[in-house]
Amino acid sequence: MARINLNRICARLGLTAAVILLLIWSLGPIYWSLVTSLTAPNEMMTGTPHLWPPHVTLEHYGKLFGASSQSQGNEVQSVWPQFSAALLNSVITSAAATVVTVLMAAFGAYAFVRLRFPGRDTIFMLVVATMAVPAYTVMIPLYRLMISINLIDTYLGITLIYVSAFLPLALWLMRSVYRSLPISLEEAAWLDGAGRTYTLVRIVLPLAAPGLIASAILTFLSAWGQFMVPLVFSPSLATKPLTVLIPEFVTRNYVDYGLMNAAGVIAIVPPVILVAFLNRYLVRGLMAGAGK
Amino acid sequence: MSHFEQTKPAPGTRHDVWLGLGFAIPIIVIMGGLVFVPLASTLWDSLFRIDPMRPGTPFVGLQNYAGFLTDPAIRQGWYNTFVYVVLAVILETVGGLGAALLLSRIKYGRRWLLAALVLPWCLPPVVNAIAWLWIYNPSYGLLNGALHAMGLIDQNIVWFNSRSTALFLVTVVHVWRMMPLTAIILLAALQSIPQDLYEAAKLDGAGPIKCFRMITLPLIAGGLAIALSQSTVFALNLFDEAWVLAGPSLDTRTVIIQVYMSAFQNLHFSQGMALSVLTMIVSLIISALYVMRVYRETSYD
Amino acid sequence: MKRRQFLTTASALGATLALPAFSKRAAASTTVSVLLPPWSTLPKDMADRFTSQTGFGLDNQTLGWDDIHAKIVTSMVAKTAPADATEVDWSWVGQFGAAEWYQPLDGKIDAGLIADLPTAKIFTFDGKLMALPYNNDFRILIYNRAHLQQAGVKDAPKTPDELLDAARKIKAAKVIDYPIGLPFSATEGASTAWYLLTKAFGGDLFDDKFEPLFVSPDSAGYKAMAFQMQALKEGLIDPASTGLKDVDIQELFKAGKITFDIAGWAGNIAVYSDASKSKVAKDVAAALMPSTTGKSRTFGLPGAVGIPASAKNPEAALAFAKWMLQPENQIESYLTLGNLPTRTSVLEKLNADGKLYEGDKLLQQAAVVEPLFAQGTPGWYPQFSSAVATALNQAAKGQATVDQAVKQIADGAKAAQQ
Repeated sequence: MARINLNRICARLGLTAAVILLLIWSLGPIYWSLVTSLTAPNEMMTGTPHLWPPHVTLEHYGKLFGASSQSQGNEVQSVWPQFSAALLNSVITSAAATVVTVLMAAFGAYAFVRLRFPGRDTIFMLVVATMAVPAYTVMIPLYRLMISINLIDTYLGITLIYVSAFLPLALWLMRSVYRSLPISLEEAAWLDGAGRTYTLVRIVLPLAAPGLIASAILTFLSAWGQFMVPLVFSPSLATKPLTVLIPEFVTRNYVDYGLMNAAGVIAIVPPVILVAFLNRYLVRGLMAGAGK
Repeated sequence: MSHFEQTKPAPGTRHDVWLGLGFAIPIIVIMGGLVFVPLASTLWDSLFRIDPMRPGTPFVGLQNYAGFLTDPAIRQGWYNTFVYVVLAVILETVGGLGAALLLSRIKYGRRWLLAALVLPWCLPPVVNAIAWLWIYNPSYGLLNGALHAMGLIDQNIVWFNSRSTALFLVTVVHVWRMMPLTAIILLAALQSIPQDLYEAAKLDGAGPIKCFRMITLPLIAGGLAIALSQSTVFALNLFDEAWVLAGPSLDTRTVIIQVYMSAFQNLHFSQGMALSVLTMIVSLIISALYVMRVYRETSYD
Repeated sequence: MKRRQFLTTASALGATLALPAFSKRAAASTTVSVLLPPWSTLPKDMADRFTSQTGFGLDNQTLGWDDIHAKIVTSMVAKTAPADATEVDWSWVGQFGAAEWYQPLDGKIDAGLIADLPTAKIFTFDGKLMALPYNNDFRILIYNRAHLQQAGVKDAPKTPDELLDAARKIKAAKVIDYPIGLPFSATEGASTAWYLLTKAFGGDLFDDKFEPLFVSPDSAGYKAMAFQMQALKEGLIDPASTGLKDVDIQELFKAGKITFDIAGWAGNIAVYSDASKSKVAKDVAAALMPSTTGKSRTFGLPGAVGIPASAKNPEAALAFAKWMLQPENQIESYLTLGNLPTRTSVLEKLNADGKLYEGDKLLQQAAVVEPLFAQGTPGWYPQFSSAVATALNQAAKGQATVDQAVKQIADGAKAAQQ
């Protein structure tokens, strides 16, 4: 009896240790980034790490949001206009990409599942197959195309590119969601005289809400984190997102890691919120999306 | 009943076709215009010399491809990419499997543990790279500081001076982000294994290792294959981490960094296109290999 | 009658005086965006002064020098201007001029001003002035006097060998761990340092036909690189330099962590001597670039501000460029940011007032400044320079020998020239 208890305690301890290890691994760097963003510059340059800054300072955030900033010992113009512009761009492009992608996937996947039209299955296969094509293969001609139709550095151009990138996965997700819904519900609606579109909007979509939410979350996170595409297609602050602006801080100043980490912390606030509150949908979406 | 059938047409095939096409046409236009047409354009244009800084676009055949075997920078890029793929796939699979096994055993607070596990995957890769760049900083970074405090090193190591540590550290950042995806795929696979198989094995006296080898591994083979192919494709596309951590440095340069540099810094568009075509072919071949294996495995079920 | 006349005149006068205020307020709604490197991030009072003097708002965007080039290229190929006014470096004139990306400034600038700017001819392409130079950078040896004294080194080194000796003595006396500051990351700062040392060893990079002159072991370029690698091997340069740019080396000097800023920027002496910015303000000294031939050589790397062809606010951008060249702004830019004035009249005034730090050494060195390419910077320079930086970075990490590195650079030159 005692030996079994010992085994169980060892197993428990092992499990707990493993969980702690996993938490440190997953959350450690984020925590360290937060700590750095709150550390005063002179304490950062000491070479001995502290688990919590000896003197918490908000000066780095102050530089981001404040009326003035520091550069090479001079007080310079605030970084806020550029930071706020980039933040707004990130929000707008990610939100636009999400809305358009989810709408198109919601209606399109329904068409691919329930409606019959010529070439239905081939088109679907082709669209989903584009997930195997890496982004950079199409980037250069896409760049030249966008130049010729004057959509470089516009919200419309960026949104279109994001939609073309994220639509296949969203379509796949929504299609598997629709397939799992029993057709009897829709048939009942048709018998009552409802049209196809009406059935879709009023009956199917509410039932497919978890899938819609999962697609929206996945698309938003992917768009929020995009780097190479806006690096090429958003050269100026008209559409430049946070992900492109923050590495520019690296080149600005020598070791202003406090500012960079502060900017990084702000950039991860939306994903953290999404994960904290909508985790269930996200995980379900990932699992379903992986079932290829 | 028949009254309704006469007054309102049941959703008929012709109505279906137009509606279906109506929903599908925007998708076709966007995917066609922004993916297929540029793809065809890449394949075609890589046979010309397209350089915005120079006049004309003469046909050069396979000349853009010919330079690749001899250019040492590109060879280095292929080598680096290969190292990233191998290292990343191994680390992500082993780590992901461990995390999935751990999670499948946790009953309480699994939701929060999952949230913590998934968080690295949700953050912009660029922000990760900057956080880790600071951790790797030779003079003030956490890595050197912690190793120093633990007494493992007495002098700060400049990690990115050595090619092997540079490659490894960039891989670590990439793995940190991608492991959650593998873990979730494998977790889903683990959860689909019926528990009574384990109970039967325990009754037969099998220990945990035997259970793992005989029951777990074969039954998650499908999920494993998917996880492996995902890891490979994402590792092949590694750009953000290597670019932010080490820039154009040759040690850590991947093939797609080379594409970016050729096309957007040196403005040799057609060279960039040729290189990206080659990489796409490699990526497709690897994906196809995995897909075929998956079909073979699952056909046994 | 008189009162009415008086009132009318008064109100008319008042209105005329108020008119400029109205137009300025209307103009203040235009903000000119300016893309400049870190050493031109204008202090806030300068930016505010610009707004109050010209009525235009100022959006001062800063980007690392190496990234500005890539940004301008990607934007201009896509026919969108990255900003209303951007930095135009001497080394980009060939490439940008051939592509006609910048608005010609002839006729918009007063001839007297151009005569006051000797470096303006570097920014002329095909007879047209592309940009206005504001930063008169050339290189000089900057060192920390106190370190030399503590190690018992009496005079500043005059040849590369003396430089190594002095560094060895400083390291042996445990004054400073890594006395020599040179960048080795794959950035332009590393390349220009090597070009400078090539000149110090009495040679040049290319001949008239742009054939490489640095491949054979007895060439100046080869010896220069061997010198750098030797210093690294002996521990006279910090191994972490493979991750450092020129601006990082400058921060190290200000913190008192290195003795020799070999590729020192002439204007930076002002910033190094500013006690509010530099810990070694009292010990900064300059010396002529060491040379093996006895005659010091250096080259100029001026920076200018230009207006891209598709800029949205070209008049505001022109106002900014002209404003940067006003004497008081050139002086303040020098004192706060280390940008040596480009106008001869301003330099002379500064020196007469005794405010030109290490003025005599500067003027001595300025007398021997050459352009790096006598024939004008070729359009393939950026790609060539990037190949140089990559090769230097590899050699510094020990992944390539000097032989391999120079050969790599020669191959890079050939590839760029195609």
